[in-house]
Amino acid sequence: MKSGDGVKSFLIILIIGILTYIAIAGINIPGLDVDVKNVGENIKYGIDISGGIRATLVAPEGLTPTDDELNAAKSIIEARLDNKQIYDRMVVIDRTARRIVIEIPWAKGETNFDPQAALDDIGQTALLTFQEVDEDMRDEFTGEYFPTGRIVVEGNDVSEARPAIGERGRSEVALKLTSEASRRFEEATGRLVGQPIAIFLDDQFISAPTVNARIPAGTEARISFGNMFPEDTVKEANRLAGLISSGALPFSLEAREVDSVSPKLGQSALDISVQAGIIALLLIWLFMILYYRLPGILSCIALLGQVIALVLIIAASGIPLTLPGIAGIILTIGMSVDANVIIFERIKEELKAGKTVKAAIDSGFRRAVTAVLDGNITTLIAASVLFMFGTGPIQSFAFTLGIGVVLNFITAILITRILLRTIAGMGSAKKLWLYGVKGGTANV
Amino acid sequence: MFDFFSKRNYFFILSGLIIVTGIIGLIYNGGFVLDIQFQGGTVIQIEMNDDTFDIQRAEEVASSAVDKRIIAQKSHTLDTTDNRRIDFLIVSVATKEDLNDDERRAVISALREEFDIKEDAEMRFGSYSPSIGRELQQRGITAVIIASILMLLYIWIRFNIMSGLFAGLTAIVALVHDVAVMLSVYTIFGIPLNESFIAAVLTIVGYSMNDTIVIYDRIRENTKISRKDTVEGLVNKSITQSLKRSINTSITTLTCVVTVYVLASINGIGSIKEFSFPLIIGLASGTYSSIFIASPLWVMWKKSQQKKTISNKPAKA
Repeated sequence: MKSGDGVKSFLIILIIGILTYIAIAGINIPGLDVDVKNVGENIKYGIDISGGIRATLVAPEGLTPTDDELNAAKSIIEARLDNKQIYDRMVVIDRTARRIVIEIPWAKGETNFDPQAALDDIGQTALLTFQEVDEDMRDEFTGEYFPTGRIVVEGNDVSEARPAIGERGRSEVALKLTSEASRRFEEATGRLVGQPIAIFLDDQFISAPTVNARIPAGTEARISFGNMFPEDTVKEANRLAGLISSGALPFSLEAREVDSVSPKLGQSALDISVQAGIIALLLIWLFMILYYRLPGILSCIALLGQVIALVLIIAASGIPLTLPGIAGIILTIGMSVDANVIIFERIKEELKAGKTVKAAIDSGFRRAVTAVLDGNITTLIAASVLFMFGTGPIQSFAFTLGIGVVLNFITAILITRILLRTIAGMGSAKKLWLYGVKGGTANV
Repeated sequence: MFDFFSKRNYFFILSGLIIVTGIIGLIYNGGFVLDIQFQGGTVIQIEMNDDTFDIQRAEEVASSAVDKRIIAQKSHTLDTTDNRRIDFLIVSVATKEDLNDDERRAVISALREEFDIKEDAEMRFGSYSPSIGRELQQRGITAVIIASILMLLYIWIRFNIMSGLFAGLTAIVALVHDVAVMLSVYTIFGIPLNESFIAAVLTIVGYSMNDTIVIYDRIRENTKISRKDTVEGLVNKSITQSLKRSINTSITTLTCVVTVYVLASINGIGSIKEFSFPLIIGLASGTYSSIFIASPLWVMWKKSQQKKTISNKPAKA
């Protein structure tokens, strides 16, 4: 048992060491296609740090968009941002408030970014068209068709466009037209068998499915994706169905809330917050070591592991980290020693009551576990509610706080415990002052 | 052993005083001061060449450019790339119709003419809608209520031995106390409320509950061990036993938040400052209320219950 703890402790310290190294220096294993950069570069930052623009798009007063309409609006916005070559962005549907939030971070190296220009016309009603193509009017490089103006059907001719399951489990788009339009569609598809019909949003090329056969009026048309992996078709079908439905979107969205931040401002704020975090961590270390001595040192190792794990999880999650999020990390550093404090105080009590070091550690942990569990769960409840109700910057805070609490529980109950048992197993660790208790050596 | 219970009235009065001061401030101010984020409006942060500019003049120039009442403030931060101080002029307008794009340009060009501002001096621009602001407030309040109900349920289940529901209710009274103290401090100092404040309130709700639970956990454990103790004795003992932990955890948590607050204040990072200040108030209040509000209240309730059982006995016989 004792040697088992020793092996575990060694592994724990090794893992914390490796994680710390990866977080700071990154890792690159050429043969295995592993290339992780330093964690600071890997984290996705919110616009209050990276700079950029955040806007809330709302429907006109008195209108409550449906889920389908919101999805369609999201597809339009994404297509339009694509068209502006803005690929690094987030378009999120806020389902409770029935609106759309866009975040466009400042592109690195960009000097003249006009946030207002990025938002121009983004929420306008879209003009969706199905047009005949002209093989002479194609982009040489991408093969995309240019609009010919020979319109087959328009967005408001579409009565329904939805993703559907087609042959061999592949996703397709099911398309229904109004009865008048479906007669025009029958005529055009009859004439254009073997040729593509191109779909445009405004003047932007979206897709060009080839007509396989004449589609009789009143029947549902299916658009399938021939040369694509089946698993990719799901996403593509959702996207295309959203875009086609968008043609029928009856209202335009207006940018109601805009927050635009210069990257200069954010970088300074980030540097200073990180500095604050490091100072806070050092102060906590100092306090824990001075007050709790040997267990304090062990809790410092556990705390380091916890912070590193938290930062790595934030990087992996892809959830943008905001300034309140960083405040959350620092707050977690302070709160997370709570579990250790509860446990160590218990151990001290047990030692004073005359127990052996090993027995004191075991019963200290056992007795403290209910308080730590119940206490952490309430914080977790608060963090979850905040995550559900908060907007972007605050969600980041809720996320770091929530993950921090979970990690805290794991490190306090598992890591510190194993480390402490290992140390206690060593003969030289029996002195009571090592545990912050006055007087001699503990019973063995 | 310090007798927390018999001194309870002093602490009740102290809390009462803070909250009453807050209420007086509230009446005096005619309601809570709301941040632009909540009341709607526009904020523009502009980089200046130094901090010698005349703030009064800036207000006049900006206001006359768009014929709206504009408020100007000074601020500064540190550019960490070259350790240079950057000075800002922050102009804000709280209106039902915020500044539109043309008005924003008009304000900036008027200021540029007056103060010789650089080309890319606009550091931050925010426009907020009053309707979304109202909604954020409502959502915030709903969130706090939902979180409190969930916690009440949790305590009810987990602290059965302490007559869970009432233990939960006294814990909730402590929460209400903490939120009231935070609001009072904000009102007394005239700090505007925004979403950061609500996030801080929820964090404190979690933290304060956590603090109360650690003491309750001791009460729960001691109830099982020694059934002979009086309720006051039991609670005093439990508070004393967990006192070191309460103090130490408050020290570590406060250390972190105060560090953040101090660095943010020195370097003028508004959002972090706004966030850490209510946390400091709440952390202090949260620790205090668990010891001096929630636990004594629970004892008072428990004693009144015992009296009832005693006075009921003869009736049964």
